[in-house]
Formats: sequence, structure tokens, C-alpha cells
Amino acid sequence: MVRSLFLFDMTFWLYLAALTLYIAYLFARRPAMALAPAGHSTDNFDERDGAWATQLGQIATLITVFGWIVNTGALFTRAFERMQTSGTFAPWSNQFEAMAYVSWAIILGYVLLELRYKIKAIGAFVVGIGFIAMGAASLLPYRYQTAEPLVPALNSYWIYIHVSITLTSYAAFAMAGGLGVMYLFKERAERRGSTSRFYAAFPDLETIDELGYKAITVGFPLLAFGIILGAMWANYAWGGYWSWDPKETWSLIVWLIYGAYIHARMTRGWEGHRAAVYAIFGFLMVVFCFWGVNFLLSGLHAYA
Amino acid sequence: MNGQSDAIPEQQSPRSPAPRLGWEEFSRELVEFFASIKLAMFLFLFIAITATIGTVIQQNERPESYIQEYGENTYRWFLRLGFIDVYHTWWFTSLLGLLCVNSLTCFYKRFPGVWRSMKQDRVSVSLDFVKGMKQQAEVSIASSKEVVSQQLAQHFIEKGYKVLAKNDPGEVTIYATKGVLGRVGAHMAHLSATVIIVGGLIGTYYGFQEFGVCLEGQTYHIPRGNFDIKVDKFWIDYHENGSVKSYNSTLTVIDGGKSAVTKTISVNDPLVYKGIWFYQSSYGDSWDQVEVARVNIKDKATDKVLKTVDLEWHKEQAVADLDLKLSITDFVADFAFNSTEKKVFSKTVEHANPAIRLAVNERNSVQSTPWVFYQFPDLFDIKESKYQFELVAYKPKKFTGLQIAKNPGINIVWTGSTMIVVGITLSSFIFHRRIWMKIVPAPEGVTVYVGGTTHKSQIDFQREFRKLTDKLRTFSASPV
Repeated sequence: MVRSLFLFDMTFWLYLAALTLYIAYLFARRPAMALAPAGHSTDNFDERDGAWATQLGQIATLITVFGWIVNTGALFTRAFERMQTSGTFAPWSNQFEAMAYVSWAIILGYVLLELRYKIKAIGAFVVGIGFIAMGAASLLPYRYQTAEPLVPALNSYWIYIHVSITLTSYAAFAMAGGLGVMYLFKERAERRGSTSRFYAAFPDLETIDELGYKAITVGFPLLAFGIILGAMWANYAWGGYWSWDPKETWSLIVWLIYGAYIHARMTRGWEGHRAAVYAIFGFLMVVFCFWGVNFLLSGLHAYA
Repeated sequence: MNGQSDAIPEQQSPRSPAPRLGWEEFSRELVEFFASIKLAMFLFLFIAITATIGTVIQQNERPESYIQEYGENTYRWFLRLGFIDVYHTWWFTSLLGLLCVNSLTCFYKRFPGVWRSMKQDRVSVSLDFVKGMKQQAEVSIASSKEVVSQQLAQHFIEKGYKVLAKNDPGEVTIYATKGVLGRVGAHMAHLSATVIIVGGLIGTYYGFQEFGVCLEGQTYHIPRGNFDIKVDKFWIDYHENGSVKSYNSTLTVIDGGKSAVTKTISVNDPLVYKGIWFYQSSYGDSWDQVEVARVNIKDKATDKVLKTVDLEWHKEQAVADLDLKLSITDFVADFAFNSTEKKVFSKTVEHANPAIRLAVNERNSVQSTPWVFYQFPDLFDIKESKYQFELVAYKPKKFTGLQIAKNPGINIVWTGSTMIVVGITLSSFIFHRRIWMKIVPAPEGVTVYVGGTTHKSQIDFQREFRKLTDKLRTFSASPV
């Protein structure tokens, strides 16, 4: 137990370091020509980037990747520990582990995004959310952090697939929420005609908006799949595939909220500002579904 | 609305100058309303908001608990609005029904177009049509029309497009399309809502769900399946730290007098026989049977405990040196007395006021059957007896809680579920793109008119379209 907790702890500090570096990267000095207002091309931005900022950005990425590897290691270690005590190896069997898994998924998503689009400014927001998830997990009391044996209802192979898929969809929505916050920052700067260096590394609004939408289109089918796997599991364990248990209901609510978003995107006026605000709202609902329901509402899912 | 932008502008009939108020007009408006994205968004959000009610207010509780928590007036409003069983109220069900109508109408209105574009696409379009598209460009290339069309077709085939070309006198039209499956997926998801809800309704009307409390060794008749089920054994497994690992019952199905199946069920591992599922749902302490009870035998005169005996259920035990024969004939967990029927029964299943009925046979002369209370040891006294009996401990029999359920709609629900997951996945990751190109000979080489449309992800498409026009310009640079 000690071993995995040490690794989880280390993950927390590494993510904190990565986040700090990403923020420092935004504040770093850049040549004046890089300060072009909105619309600068992101393709060859790196070359115009100041050397100092580039280095900061590289270190930030390295630390993030290293943190993610430690996070992976922590989850694996926890899996082995679980194997010995509780007859399952799913390292997402309680609130703490689930949070650690979500931050793992968020960071993985971010690293893939950075690899593909090479926009480091997003790190300050998305790694930020990953860090908060990890931080919130480590704030849980110790008795929530240990690998206690599973209650009989959870002791099933369904836990591997249902929980991991649902949590991955949460991670996707978290990314969309982070991008939404970033959008609002950038939009505010543009509206005020801010020439602050801070925003120079930000991609243009359209790109942020599009990436946020993409994150939601990844999360939406995953959540549907997760809910349905949950229904199948419930049919095996509880004797009915749907019992309007608070967790079930809230995951459906979250799904409906994003369903409305997906449909709204097809109508004019639902990109940009409104979509960003909506993505943040949706993410808050996810947070409630993930945390609030467990701690505030009672029900069949209240295991922790 | 983007949903309309995929309709080919040319096909749209011109707006009638003076709208008539005929049936046709009305039904068109009706379809328009029920198929609208706005209605879909409203329903999604409204169902989401109303669904929260049942998670905040405990559902299907006893009236007293609502009155205690919210007060009588609020409770009356809860009753009026159905807040104590939100998910089964007429209005919540209607919202779900409306969602089905919405998605079905959308399917009815839009799917034929998708189907047509899967089956046969219109290749030849007018130049105005191409110019009128949302994404359109005009590129002049110093090359011949055959070479350019060859190159274009090559380009699109490499990108995974389906390419059709038409060689008209004077001009070539090329049509490239990709990702129609994305739209098929969206409609699959639309249909799935109704499939799932129909499956759910069949389950509620033709299925059942019951809960049975069963004791080891007993046989129970299942009237809905017309067979019997015998509980052979019930036991609990524990983890090393003492928490429950699993609880299990071995069940035997007896059908037509013969045992048909024997299976040990546990949580997450039910028994299925003739479409009826038996779930290990709970366990608990029985309220009318004990396995063993510990009784102190006290001497009335000295008030000293002479002996402590462990009595097994319904088994007479002789205490030779005291000249006693004892046995337990009854047990209740929460003692209550029905004065009209003169019967003792257990008020609740809680072990709130446990008592055993002792059959005492003393010196073969004094015979009595007193109730001995766990909490009130002095309540009953046998006058002729030398002894007083105290119940000091007991171990209740464990019952196994079985959920018995049949759901004939379940496979329909799973079909709908598969449809929704596959459908959403297709529509999330595949975009339907259609691009028309007209290659018209110009004084120097050819002019290519390009027009394209997609049903979603305009930004991606815009980017792709820009790349395409960039690529087109390189054609002129390449040697012919």
C-alpha cells in the first residue's frame, strides 16, 4: 500500500511542477514579433518563440510525460496490491483510485493533443485540471486511499470495463471544460484588445473551440457506452438494468446535457463563447456526478 | 440550421408567395416542428432538469418520512406533482415519449435524403449550384481538362473518397463523397431511443420483479414459472479482514417433480431458468427462527445460575442433573401479540425485542411453554417451577434474499443500446463530405469550380477544403 501511495504522491508533485512550468511558459519573454494579435498561424509559431520560452515549454512537456509515467506506475503498483488483498486488480475501485485514474486519462489526452497540435499553451489549463483531480484525490482521508477489499456487488469483471470507460469519458469532458476556460480567457483578451505577452502563445479562438468540441465528441459516445455497460452490470448484480439510482440518473443527466450540446452545435450561434460557457457548465455537472453524488446523495453506488 | 445546409439548394422549392392554410401546409409545419433540433435540445435539457428531482427527493418512501422532512403542505404538492415517484409520472413518461416522436420524425424527414445519397448521387449539377455552396472556390490551371480531372480523381481516391465523374460536352463534372456512414450513424442513434423505450415498456408490462426471503432447506413455488425452487444451502465467505467477500446460495430448480438444474448463485452470478432470473440480492437474520439459543437456568431460591445450556432449534435437550427437558419451539425478533387471534408474531424484521418460546418439562410433572424475553428476563415466571430461565444469547438463522425477475424486453433494450453506441460513435468520428468540381475549358488551360458541403464539423471541412484548393493550384505548376 505504501509503495503505490508514494508513487501517487510523487505524481501529484510532478503534475504541480508541470503546471507551474506551463504557466511560467505563458509568462515567458517572447520576441515582439510573436506578439501578433489573434490570428497568428500556429504552424511555425515555435520558431518565432523566444528561446527561453521554448526551453520552458520543453521542460514542461518532459515533466508532464514523466509525471504521467509515474502515474501509470502508481496505478500498476496499486493493481498488484489489489490483487493480493481484494481479488480484483482494477486500480479504480474506490473514489481515490478513480480520481487518480481520471487524472491519468486527462494527462494522456493532453500529451496526445500536444503531440498532434503542438500547442503548449493548452497545458496550463488541461494539465491544471489533471493536477486538481490528483490533488483532490490526495486530500481524501487516508481510509479512502487504501485498497480495501471490494464489497460483493463490485467484485466482478464488469468493474474493469464499466468504470474505466465511464471515467475516461469524464476525462474527455474535463479537457473540454479546460479548453472552455481557455477560450474565455483568450476571448476576453481579444475583446479588450490586450497586447499582453501572456496570450501570445494561445492558439486562435476557432482552434480552441474546435478542440473543445472534439473532446466532447470523444466523451459523448464513451459515456453512452459506459452507461450501457453499467446497465448490463446492474442486470447481473442488482436484478434490473435501470433502477433510477442517483448515480445512474446523474450520469444520464450529464449525457443529456452533452446530447443537447451536440445537437446545438448543428445550429448557428452555438460555437465560440456560448459553447465554451456550456462546456464549463457541463464539466461542473460531471464533477457533481463524480463527486457530489457520492458524498451528498445516497444510493446503490455509494460504496466509498 | 446546418441540417438544412446539406439539402441541395437547387432542390428546395421556392417559397410559396402566399402561404395557404391547408392540410399539406399544416402537416409540413408539424413535421418541421417535431423534427426540429430546437425541440430536441429543449427535451434533452428539460428531461435532464426534471430527472434531478428524483435524486434529491428520496423516492417511494412512506408518507410519514416526507411529512417529517418537508412538512405536510410540501408533501401535498409532492403528491400533486408526482415528485415522490417522478420517473413514473405521466408527465415524465410523456417527455420520454415526446423524445421518441422527435427522433422518429427527424428520421422520417432526413433519412430518405441520406439513403438517396448512399444509393445514387447526383453527379451533374449546374455551375450556379457549385458556386452557391457554402465552401466554394475557383482556380485557374494551365493544363488540359483530361489531365486535371485525372489528377483530381487520383487525389480524392487517395484520400478515401468515392469519386464519380461525368464527361459532358465541353466540361467535366467530378463528384467526390466520403463518410455517409456518419449520417447513417446519427439516424441509427435516433431510432435507438424508441427501441430502448419500447424494450423498457415490454419489460414493465410483461415482466415482473419480486423479492423473496428464503430459508435453507425450504422449497418455494414460483407460480409465474410453474416450477419450484429449493434452497439447498446458504453461506457467507469472508475476506481476511473480516469483511464480507461474497454470499452464496445453492439453488435447485424442481420442475415437474424432477430436479432440473442446480446452481450456486452469488452476487453478480444469477441463475436463469425458463427466462426467470434468480439473483442473490441480500441476506439477513431470520425473524422467526434461530439456529441455537443460550439459556441460563437459575435457581429461584438462591438466584444463582445453576447451568447454561445451548439449545438447538426444535430439538429437545435433557438436563439430567436438574431433571429438566428443554426445547425451543418458537422465536420472534420483535415480539407482538395479536389479542383477537391470540397469536404471537414478529412486528418487524428487526431484532428489536427478541423472545423465544421455551417448552419446559420439569420432573415430568411441571409442563409449561413460557415466552422468555432477551431484554426483560423477569417478565415471565413459572409458579410451580424451581427454576427461572434467562435467554442470554442466540444465533438467528440466516435467510437468503432472492430477487426473482423476468424481463422479456431486455434483448430489445440491448439491441437499442448497441444501436445508440454504434450510432453515436459513427456520427462522432465520421463526417459526411460532398464535393463537386466542374472543370471548364478557359482561354489558358481550364477553370476548376469547386463547391463542397458537410453536415457538421464545418471547421474541419473548411481546413480540408483550403488544403484542396492549395493542392489544386499546384497542379498548374506540375509539368503536363
